[in-house]
Amino acid sequence: MKKKFRSLWVSVLLVVCALRAAASEGEGASFDIFSFRGPKMRDLYYVITRDMDAALLAMSTKKLDVMSDIYRPGDIDRLAESDFAELSAASGFHGFFVTFNTRKFPWDQTALRQAASQAVDANRGRWTRDLFSGYCEPLTGFLPHISPYHEPAAGRRTPGVAAARKRLADAGWTWNRSGWLAAPDGRPVPPTRLLCPPSSAAATSTEIAELVSETLRSIGVPIEAEPMDFQTMLARIDVRDFDACTNAWTMSRDPDVLYSFYHSSMDVEGGYNMSGIADAELDRVLDGLRYAPDERTARDMASRAQEILSELMPVIPIYSRYSISSIRKDWNGVFTTDRSASDNELTLISMSPKEGGERPIYWNIGDEIRTLNPLVSSTAYDWTVLGTVYGSLLSVNPYTFEDLPWLAASWDVSTGERGSVFTFTLRPNLKWQDGRPLTADDAAFTIGFIKDNNVPRFFDLVKDVESVETDAAHRTIRVAMSNTSYWHLHNIGGMPVLPKHILQNVADWRAWQPANRPHRALDGTELTELIGTGPFTFRESRTGEYVHMTRNEHYILFAPDEGAAK
Amino acid sequence: MSVLLRRVCGSAVVLAVVLVLNFFLFRIMPGDPLTGIVDPRFSPEAKRQLAAQWGLDRPLSEQFAVYVREMLSFRFGLSMMTGVPVWDELKNRVPNTVALLLPALALSSALGLWLGTHAALRRGSMAERLTLLAGAVSFSFPSFFVQLLLLMCFAYLWPLFPLRGTTSIPPPEGVSALFDYIWHLALPVLSLTVLGFGGFALYIRNMMVKALGEDYVLMARARGLPRRRVVWNHAFRGILPPVLTILLLSLPGVVSGAVITETVFSLNGVGRFLLEATNSHDYPSAGAAFFLLALLTVACNLGADLMYVLVDPRVRREAPRG
Repeated sequence: MKKKFRSLWVSVLLVVCALRAAASEGEGASFDIFSFRGPKMRDLYYVITRDMDAALLAMSTKKLDVMSDIYRPGDIDRLAESDFAELSAASGFHGFFVTFNTRKFPWDQTALRQAASQAVDANRGRWTRDLFSGYCEPLTGFLPHISPYHEPAAGRRTPGVAAARKRLADAGWTWNRSGWLAAPDGRPVPPTRLLCPPSSAAATSTEIAELVSETLRSIGVPIEAEPMDFQTMLARIDVRDFDACTNAWTMSRDPDVLYSFYHSSMDVEGGYNMSGIADAELDRVLDGLRYAPDERTARDMASRAQEILSELMPVIPIYSRYSISSIRKDWNGVFTTDRSASDNELTLISMSPKEGGERPIYWNIGDEIRTLNPLVSSTAYDWTVLGTVYGSLLSVNPYTFEDLPWLAASWDVSTGERGSVFTFTLRPNLKWQDGRPLTADDAAFTIGFIKDNNVPRFFDLVKDVESVETDAAHRTIRVAMSNTSYWHLHNIGGMPVLPKHILQNVADWRAWQPANRPHRALDGTELTELIGTGPFTFRESRTGEYVHMTRNEHYILFAPDEGAAK
Repeated sequence: MSVLLRRVCGSAVVLAVVLVLNFFLFRIMPGDPLTGIVDPRFSPEAKRQLAAQWGLDRPLSEQFAVYVREMLSFRFGLSMMTGVPVWDELKNRVPNTVALLLPALALSSALGLWLGTHAALRRGSMAERLTLLAGAVSFSFPSFFVQLLLLMCFAYLWPLFPLRGTTSIPPPEGVSALFDYIWHLALPVLSLTVLGFGGFALYIRNMMVKALGEDYVLMARARGLPRRRVVWNHAFRGILPPVLTILLLSLPGVVSGAVITETVFSLNGVGRFLLEATNSHDYPSAGAAFFLLALLTVACNLGADLMYVLVDPRVRREAPRG
């Protein structure tokens, strides 16, 4: 019965995803973020519940309203069967790969990597179905499916073990009596290891490593999965002491991540070119992608890069995790797209109880908030809170991932003497949560502060900034870069804008704890230095317990007549 | 006095060794604070900036000097994970850990003591068999299972206790806040008591069975002393030194070993902080936490030695001879 129910939910999920994907193009074009109004609720509590079982029990007893990052099939089943919660799923930016060390034999042989990928291609779908009960999708390319730049790598070659063996035979590889491979020059393939985390830490990763090893053995590669402590595995990958390994990472809407993973200049200590792939043509294309002057060039270069990677196969894509979240059914205003599950900011501001009236929102966070210093913080949990406080110049269309105006009402891209120049015009009458006006000076000061202090968290976003000028009369900020790149717009436009009147008094930005430093708003309200333009204002945090926030009545989308619950 | 002095000097040497090992062991461990950053938007250059910010680009000798200064001055520096002074991180967590573990330790040891003694006094009875069974079950069941079961029964099906944390949301004010805190910790404490009494009960029972067969106990009985006096003043007194040692030395262990309880009940304690600091190579936090744990262990060891002197007259007599 449970199995039947699960397959039914998975089928519905897939159909809904497919239908929504088809519909999203049209909806994306007409999407108007300014048609939303909120926040409708006054109080928001981010509740820290580390144990997933406890969180599920809390949700069923109305102690929690929203849960994110639900990934265990059993939990998804329980929520799907429940009568109190509504699930939503969206394709995500997560990717799980098997990476080969192309610096040494046998994985320096392109034919072997291609054959390995052919053998895996035939099994990827089944593994994903069996191991994740359908709650993940097979990953068929080097970028996630929802990336506007995704090109499938799988399907370019005939899948299957027989086809893989034929490729190897055609390329001159031979098998000894035990069935193990020898290279065309006669070198036998030595026993190799596929590093993976232990099953106690990541059961499915270990299992996939076992399955991949088994598949590779079937084409004649003597390989065994080697589970080990995660930190030890990362350290070995860092010093390139491995044959093959499993990796998972979260990518972004920009295909620029391909540069980080596959450009030869990134094969350095601390770099992400773990496979060590070095190909002159690939480097040339990835350079072109990183410094693409416009969207069209970027698209061409991303496509060509993925084509080359499909030939070189330094990694084999395996699966991508859906982003699954759940909201109690007694709330109205849930917003989802095929690329965004329900736990998004538009849902947060639109939520109102079906029975009407005012009620706090209890939003679960799966681990402790480490710090609320936006200059230091890097965990997703911290940024769940900080993302509610701060805003950026541009926003993103949740259907198409295209840029949308936000704090900047418009922007202009031109080419200056040395590189790209962006001119953002701010929306009029913007206000910080403390009631003070937000000006172009704030945005300029943020960029300058981060660049002058080499703040590592944002270092890559501003390192190519050459100058920043503002024009108070016209509410414009002009950012000139030292080179040309289409991605600079996303980097500068996507950065959080911090208040100059607070940031200029910060003596040591590394130790700055804005949530602990009192600050008075213009109307006399006691706040803290954690001041932004987001929909909710920070009020109080109890370490390990909760973060309390209240509605920001200066928020761009807040309308007193419609926003507040009647 | 010379024994005590020797002990104190020995403890200082142990602490110095721990201090040095603490520094080098964390750096010998595979990886470093930057290894865990797997984010394609964080370039090698940005990582170098971060390393410089944390002082990891300085020579090891310089890092060691800074570390020793921070530890000995009890300043401990800033946590790499949070940017918050390590002292503040610990100050936030220690009260919860103490409020969780001390009552649990007191209750489980008292229950274990009572059951173990009674089982030893009633050899072969149903009470002894039940104690042995309960002790074995309590000792051997995985903690997360028992705790989730308790959570399911007493916080969900029969909602006597809250599901998570140490406070209601929003928190009550005044005296109600204290009751609210106790109410939130009741189930975690109960779970640790249930999980912890078994080991004590079995240990006490075995020690008592042995002690009750000793000549000095037989002698006490032969002298016609009342049973209660024989049991508590003679047999129990005989086993008191090792029991105290076990109790005191289990203190540092419970402080660091409450990770599962803290996770299941979403409690903000030291155990989880220690685990996360170690996993993420947060040198200042892990160094400080392990240093303080070593300090606690050494203090408990010294305490146990002192207790020996107090409860065992033989040690008192031997002490002056050194």
